Amino acid sequence: MEAGDSMSRRLRISGILVMAGLVVEALCLMWSRPIAFVVLACVGGTLIGLGVLFFLYSLVSVAHHHTETSGLTHDKK
Amino acid sequence: MPTIAIVILVLFSAALAGVLVARPAATASRTGKILAFGVLFFLPVFALAIGMENEMERSKSTAFCLSCHIMDSYGKSLHIDDPSYLAAAHFQNHRVPADEACYTCHTNYAMFGTFKAKMGGLRHLYVYYLKKMPLPEDIKLHEPFNNRECLHCHLGARSFEQGATHNADPATLPAIKANTLSCISSGCHDVVHNVGHWGDKVKFWDGGS
Repeated sequence: MEAGDSMSRRLRISGILVMAGLVVEALCLMWSRPIAFVVLACVGGTLIGLGVLFFLYSLVSVAHHHTETSGLTHDKK
Repeated sequence: MPTIAIVILVLFSAALAGVLVARPAATASRTGKILAFGVLFFLPVFALAIGMENEMERSKSTAFCLSCHIMDSYGKSLHIDDPSYLAAAHFQNHRVPADEACYTCHTNYAMFGTFKAKMGGLRHLYVYYLKKMPLPEDIKLHEPFNNRECLHCHLGARSFEQGATHNADPATLPAIKANTLSCISSGCHDVVHNVGHWGDKVKFWDGGS
């Protein structure tokens, strides 16, 4: 249950980061100025990158948590 | 892909990410997990890649370069009604694509040339926003113009290879090709943009794109 809550919280955080990055990207694509390119690469790219990395980290950490839990179960047996 | 289609895709991806933010429990099922992977990994990476690609293409356009007002005079120089002005002659006669005129001559036709051109563009932005802007006539190239950029198109062309001036001295053509005799700064094609030195007699051609 605790792992589920933690995963939900992580999904929320990565979702918010990705969503913010995508909104920045959409605004930059409609804003036809040279600075838009920099904002897209620096702000949009960073937010999306962080969101994706955090999502991947969440998957790995949950898988690790499952392994540890099943390991404990085996120990108890 | 048109910009508007990319914007729609990006907003659609953002909306799907919003659904996951609002209802993370939807990822409990197997389908939900696949959806989460698509929405939080595949779609954002794809949307960012095509968005960057779109911006890179847009940054090659003449309109993009001329959108900074400091470049106004350089844009105007493309319309000078005088064939001795190299940039104007190339632009008006479509020796370079009119919609990518600046990029075509000012990129670097070597390995990672586009990347170097973009880094140069970032330096322009840095000066434009964070430093004291020079007057348009004081703008200089970062490094001397390399003949390689001219030869990218002109090498092998009859007008270049058999041009009377190019062949007047047998040493001229090899020197041009070896970049030891500059096309634009050796007194041959040295009238390029000449911003700030037009005088009152210069006329402009309004035709073309």
